[in-house]
Amino acid sequence: MDFLYSYLILAEIYVLLGLSTNLLVGIVGIFSVSQAAVFGVGAYIVADFLLSGALPFLPALAIAALCCILLNVLVTLPSLRVAGDYFVVTSFGIQLLATAAFTNWTGGTGGANGLPGIPPPVILGITLADTSQYLEMTTIAAVAGCLCFWLIMRAPFGRLLRAIREDELAVAAAGKGVLRAKVQAAALAGAFGGIAGGLYATFMSFVDPSSFDLDASILLLTMIVVCGARTLAGSVVGPFLLLALPQALSLVAIPTSVAAATRQLVYGLLLIAFALFRPQGLLGEKL
Amino acid sequence: MNAYLEVSGLRKRFDGLQALDGTTFAVEQGRITCLVGPNGAGKTTIFNIITGFLRPEQGSVAFRGHSLDGLRPQAIVAAGIARTFQNLRLFTDLTAMDNVLVGLGGQFGEEPLGAIFRPLYAARVQARRRSEAREWLAHVGLADRARERVRNLSYGEQKLLTVARVLATGAELLLLDEPASGLSAGALDQIMALLRRLQQEGKTLLMVEHNTRVVQQIADEVLFLHQGHLLAQGEPSAIIADPALAEIYFGGAL
Amino acid sequence: MLLLQLLVNGIVTGCALGVVAISFSLVYSTTRIFHVAHAGVYTLGGYLAWTFVTHGVPDPLALVLAMLACTLLGAFIQAQLYARLERRGATHLIVLIASLGALAVIQNIIAAVYTPNILQFPSAWAARVVSLGGLRLTFAQLVTLGISLAAFAGVLLFAKFTPLGKRIRAVASNPFLAEITRLEPRTVYIYVIAIASAVVCLPGVLVPFDLGLQPYGGVTPLLTATIAMIAGGVGSIGGAFMLSVLIVVLQNLSLMVMPGQWSIGITFFIFVIFMLFRPRGLFATG
Repeated sequence: MDFLYSYLILAEIYVLLGLSTNLLVGIVGIFSVSQAAVFGVGAYIVADFLLSGALPFLPALAIAALCCILLNVLVTLPSLRVAGDYFVVTSFGIQLLATAAFTNWTGGTGGANGLPGIPPPVILGITLADTSQYLEMTTIAAVAGCLCFWLIMRAPFGRLLRAIREDELAVAAAGKGVLRAKVQAAALAGAFGGIAGGLYATFMSFVDPSSFDLDASILLLTMIVVCGARTLAGSVVGPFLLLALPQALSLVAIPTSVAAATRQLVYGLLLIAFALFRPQGLLGEKL
Repeated sequence: MNAYLEVSGLRKRFDGLQALDGTTFAVEQGRITCLVGPNGAGKTTIFNIITGFLRPEQGSVAFRGHSLDGLRPQAIVAAGIARTFQNLRLFTDLTAMDNVLVGLGGQFGEEPLGAIFRPLYAARVQARRRSEAREWLAHVGLADRARERVRNLSYGEQKLLTVARVLATGAELLLLDEPASGLSAGALDQIMALLRRLQQEGKTLLMVEHNTRVVQQIADEVLFLHQGHLLAQGEPSAIIADPALAEIYFGGAL
Repeated sequence: MLLLQLLVNGIVTGCALGVVAISFSLVYSTTRIFHVAHAGVYTLGGYLAWTFVTHGVPDPLALVLAMLACTLLGAFIQAQLYARLERRGATHLIVLIASLGALAVIQNIIAAVYTPNILQFPSAWAARVVSLGGLRLTFAQLVTLGISLAAFAGVLLFAKFTPLGKRIRAVASNPFLAEITRLEPRTVYIYVIAIASAVVCLPGVLVPFDLGLQPYGGVTPLLTATIAMIAGGVGSIGGAFMLSVLIVVLQNLSLMVMPGQWSIGITFFIFVIFMLFRPRGLFATG
């Protein structure tokens, strides 16, 4: 039972990341490989606050969200002003820089060894030490995230983003602010990523740089591409499906030394296959 | 004297080609003015500069006495000038209604915080905006096509939609890039009637147009552009009848 | 003295990176595809050369064989992946994602076959040191410098004077026009990526002589190279090369004041400065 709960909790955390990635990559159409970096920043901030006892869980989560919003805004603002490919460089740069920071800034992040012993969250006096309690929290968070996403896409903001994806010149000609909308979407994606990070840190009670590297960003992209970009369904099904993949792979006799590489290899193949044969993914709209 | 729209001394160069070479003209309020001239004369470049998509190397544009120099496209739309595109640039996956709504200003919920935290209020505002959009669609004759995706509309209907979208911005000076091109006779009449109606409602139209029949029938004034500057200006009948201009337009060197 | 040594080291590595930059620039300015899988070709080149060398193949031959393999891989990616995507009307974003997928596949096949641990070239000659008035340079560094400069000159001459090079430049400067004339851009794309893949194999083999081979070690050099390309101005081969040298020299000099793991911060900082103040780069063409 505990194993099932863990899978569900992790999947729900990744739903938030999926929504975040989908916003940026699927809906606005920005190629981002730095989602895991944002995830990591959120995780480390919450971990730091909880380990030092400086702030309880919810305020720490709020600050993590704010920092990630700021991070995404600072990253997208200058680079979105210029051509799209330059954002690719920015995104790679952010991700690699973040991994360097996570690995080397031992004061804040514990370096390559990470931060162990993160205490469970205490919300309104209740300590969520039990997996089933934790599942309730992540379910609430995932549902809230989906609700936000749904509200945005129904609202004029969603329409504006879809129009920008199609033809941002025409949007500017219609008098609407294109850069501002993109930055707002990136800010929102940052918030989702930061909150997911905080949830992850307290669930795993341990964070280290390997969970937030380029490979992790590639996994997030794979979730969106395979299960469906630009739709709510795709953001939700993606994590559940792709987190079950390692379990499926473990049924095949692969030596543990190559297990990680094999997983990443499968993600790469999935990306290529879906890009070639089904760009809209299983449930989504064409990227 | 401050003209309604004043374009002075525009110079613009692209990769070795002098697209605009000291272009100067003025547009009067309430009139339909047509920009004509052979391809490459710089007509679309003028549109791009007026609407803020291109910066000229020299020259300036003033609207109602205020300079538009250096303003971004959004600011120019807010000032009251909006344009259509010769290749339409509609949002093909969106409905006709949605296309108009993108042009409509004053919408609550066009940014994430409002959309998330005040969804009911946003929905109420949207309902009002939708009926406004429906009015614009009706205005151009597309009332019953509101919920169709753009890709399901005929070419003529799509052209009408570009006008609806530009009207939704509330602009008083409309820059129309070849509004009549590629249309069948029936659709052509429909668009010309619409353009005349817009003029009667107080809009000022500056159009790029190649169709001489259209120019003759609705233009109050014609500006003939060639190789980046204004060659002739005057009543349509005079310009069209001029043999030297015809030579340039139809047969002469570009 | 330390300063001078860092400077010289920076110039050598910078020239190697310059070759990465000009090869990437060739592909990008012609096909407009941000070919991130290029990092995979770079990595594969090094590993294949290592495999040949450890099986007794003489070093120069190993290099040539590796270049051949890289050429084939690059051409394959263009012909079977990018060209197909283009035929299906794939968006720019999809092509980027496919390229990223290809990179992941290449890197992880390497990791699975060769393990993620760092491998070193067994060549003894590489580590021999030459002293030039207080400066120490390894043979590997000298060879790297020589070959990189030769490659730079080679690509420049190729682009300027050979028929294929001129054809490539024509396609790059006006892809639309190339479509309707007899330039056949699709074929040109294959040539371009094939050549670029062969060229990038050179630093792919030479740089690991110093730093060792690592399956995921291609991304950071590629990132630095693309930043050099952008800062130098897209389309300018000389600009890309010079900025590469400049960036790596600055990185090396920064070692005097901060630890090496942050050097990517220097690169990124330079990128941000250019984005804010001169996004077109220094020597952009067209």
